[in-house]
Amino acid sequence: MPVIVMASPKGGVGKSTCAVLLASEFARMGAQVTVLDCDPNRSLTRWASHGLPKGVILHSDVGRSEIVPTIRGADGDGKIVIVDLEGVASQMVSRAISQADLVIVPMQATALDAEIGSEALALVKEEEEALGRSIRHSVVLTKTGAAMKSRVQKELESQLRGAGIDMIEPSLVARAAFSEIFAYGGDLTAMMKDPEMVTGGKVDKAVANAQAFTEAVYERLK
Amino acid sequence: MSGSNRLAGLKARPKDTTVEEVRRVDEVGEARGFVDRTPRKKPGRKPSPRTHQLHPKVFPRVGEAIAAEAERLGITQGQLIELLWEQYTSE
Repeated sequence: MPVIVMASPKGGVGKSTCAVLLASEFARMGAQVTVLDCDPNRSLTRWASHGLPKGVILHSDVGRSEIVPTIRGADGDGKIVIVDLEGVASQMVSRAISQADLVIVPMQATALDAEIGSEALALVKEEEEALGRSIRHSVVLTKTGAAMKSRVQKELESQLRGAGIDMIEPSLVARAAFSEIFAYGGDLTAMMKDPEMVTGGKVDKAVANAQAFTEAVYERLK
Repeated sequence: MSGSNRLAGLKARPKDTTVEEVRRVDEVGEARGFVDRTPRKKPGRKPSPRTHQLHPKVFPRVGEAIAAEAERLGITQGQLIELLWEQYTSE
């Protein structure tokens, strides 16, 4: 089953959020999902400390020397492996990319995110050449506006598409629930059902966004 | 979107994980600035848990005798005092 790697040398672009949303949605579909938290900030471990959704297993503190064997060990029938990496340019990123069936590069619609994120895209291309096989990779824009696309977002999308980069649609909208999920653990549907969980946002819209995003990722893994 | 039957269609591509392949991946990454950022361990021996110090003044002959006995036993003077204290409190 596929290995999905979240990669960007820039921090704060939404790698951990993407990882959590995909893990919980694929688990809801019935997959056994293994999530590798390779980020020293331990965002996913903090999320898991409040409760993991059924079907999700977490491995914390995965280091450079363990990343390849851990991915290989977690891979198997009916299993999906999701790797969340630190927002730095490290050897761990290049090793994780080499094991990926899909590399997702999240970026906000800013010139800085695009510039730094493009380093990850360039690395994927170079690894493809070095290994002699293709590694599917896509960009997802994060923290986008709910109502309409900004001018900067439209320009960035146009530039990326013009460069032949696959863009995942829909983008991940800036939703309070996507941030709050790290405080409550579990998944968005649990958040929607539990009145004790206060998000200050529209959880149903967040659920719909996460499901559509996961569906788009699923299409790329077929 | 639900049902594990949909997921059964998902495929993983075969990937080599030979030492040679990992080395090549490391080289490609390093050329682009993706270097080993594993935190280095602090060099040197670990600090002793014996952090408390005594400053007793004793007669020279007692001090010399304690030093000689500790050396004979192959322990520090602090360890010798700990042994003596243990014996004293057990009596």
